[in-house]
Amino acid sequence: MNTREYIESGILEAYALGALSQQEAAQVAADVAMYPELRTELDAIENAMQAFTATFAKELPTGLDNKIWGALSYASANKGDVKSEPKVIPFTPEYRKPVRWQYAALWIGLVGSIATNVILWNRNSSDDAEKTALNYRMDKLQSEQKQLADLVSNYEKNKVMMADTGMQTIVMHTMQPGHPMAATLYWSKAKSEAYVNVDGLPQPPKGMQYQLWVMQDGKPVDMGVLPNNMASTPAMQKVNMSVTSGQAFAISLEKEGGSPTPTMQQIYVMGKV
Amino acid sequence: MSTATIYNEEELVLLLKQQSREGFNYLYRQYGAVLYGVINKVVYDEQTAQDVLQDVFVKIWNNIDQYNPQKGRLYTWMINIARNASIDKLRSKGEIMKGKIRTGDDIVNNVQGMKSEQATDTIGLQKMVAGLKPEYETIITLAYFKGYTLDEISKTLEIPLGTVKTRMRSAIKQLREIFNN
Repeated sequence: MNTREYIESGILEAYALGALSQQEAAQVAADVAMYPELRTELDAIENAMQAFTATFAKELPTGLDNKIWGALSYASANKGDVKSEPKVIPFTPEYRKPVRWQYAALWIGLVGSIATNVILWNRNSSDDAEKTALNYRMDKLQSEQKQLADLVSNYEKNKVMMADTGMQTIVMHTMQPGHPMAATLYWSKAKSEAYVNVDGLPQPPKGMQYQLWVMQDGKPVDMGVLPNNMASTPAMQKVNMSVTSGQAFAISLEKEGGSPTPTMQQIYVMGKV
Repeated sequence: MSTATIYNEEELVLLLKQQSREGFNYLYRQYGAVLYGVINKVVYDEQTAQDVLQDVFVKIWNNIDQYNPQKGRLYTWMINIARNASIDKLRSKGEIMKGKIRTGDDIVNNVQGMKSEQATDTIGLQKMVAGLKPEYETIITLAYFKGYTLDEISKTLEIPLGTVKTRMRSAIKQLREIFNN
C-alpha cells in the first residue's frame, strides 16, 4: 500500500470525523492497525480533534452531577442482582376469647372465600390462553436473544481477526458496470488463512450460489462456495481451504454447488492483492 | 483523598470499572463540560442536551468493559458516544430530515450563524478556532456534529466525493496548525 497517497486522500480525517460507512470505517481501522505510519497520522489528527472539542467545553448546570449520579446508581442497581436480607418480624400471639361478631366475620369470610374460588376456577380457562400467549412471547424473546448473542459473538470473532496485524485486507470491487457491489477478504498469508464477508452482495437467485476464486499465476483456483444466507449480512466466513499464494480474489455467481471454472461474465466482484 | 488527583486514561478506566462515586466525580469533573459542550453543538436546546448527557454517562458507565484501548483513546471513545447519542436524538426529533430538505445554502448559513454565536465566548483558543476557514468549519460541522456521511456532504455541498475528503484533510490540517502553536 502507498501510505503517503492513503494519508493525502483524507480518508483518515473522514474516519476521525465519523463520516464513513460502517464497512469503510472497519476497513480504515484494519489499515491503521496494520501500518504504523497511518497510526501516527491518525494520532496527530485525533490530538487536533481533542483540542478542538475541548474549546466547546460548556459550564455544567449546578446539581446535574447529583441527578446523573442518581441515574447511574439506578442503572447499576438494575444491572446486578441486589439481594436484601429478609426481615424477621417477631410475632407473639395473644389469646383472647372470640366474641359473637368475630364468629359472624369468620362465616362471612368463609362464604366470600368459596365464592372467590368459584369465580377464579371459572377464570382459569381464559388464563390458559394467556399462558400460551406468554409462552409464545417468551419463546420469541429467547430466539431474538439468541440471534443477538450470535451477532455479538460474530463481531467478537471479527474483532479478534481484525486485530491480527498480519492480516491483509482485500476489497473486491464490482465487475458489473451499473451495479455497485463489494465484498471483503481478509487474508493472513503467514497462517494461510482467509475470511470473507459479502455484506455488499445481493441475495443470489434460487438455484445459484456465490463461489470464491483466487487467481494464481493468471489461473482461477476454486476456493469453495459461500452459504447463501451470508449475502447482505455482516457475517464473516472462514475460507475452508488454505490460501498460500495468489495475486487477486474474485467472487462469481454459479449454479448451486459451484463450477470447476468461473463463468467469466458472472464474475461479480474482484480485488487485487 | 484530594481533588487535585490526576489520573491517566488507564487509571481512569480501572476506576470506572469499580463504579465508585469517586470515579464518577472525576469523570464528571474532567470530561463533563466537554461532553456537554459537544452535545450542545449537536442538539442546540439545553434541556435536551442535559438529558443526552445523562444518557451518555449511563452508556459510559455500563459499557466501560467494552472499551478497548488498542482501538483508540478513551477520550475519543467517550466523545464518539456523546456525538452518536446526540445525533441519534437529533434524528429522532426529525430535525435532520428537515435539514436535508433544505438547500445546501441554508445549511451553510446555519453553520455561519453558529459560528457567530460561538465567537461571543471569550476563551482565546475559541477565537483561534473561529479563524478556521468557513468552508472548513462547514465540513467539520456537517460530519462531526450533524452526522452526515461523505456521500451526503457531497450532495449537500454539491462537490465531488474526493474533494470532500481532501477538504476534510485541509480542515484538520488547519486545526493542527492552530493547536500546535
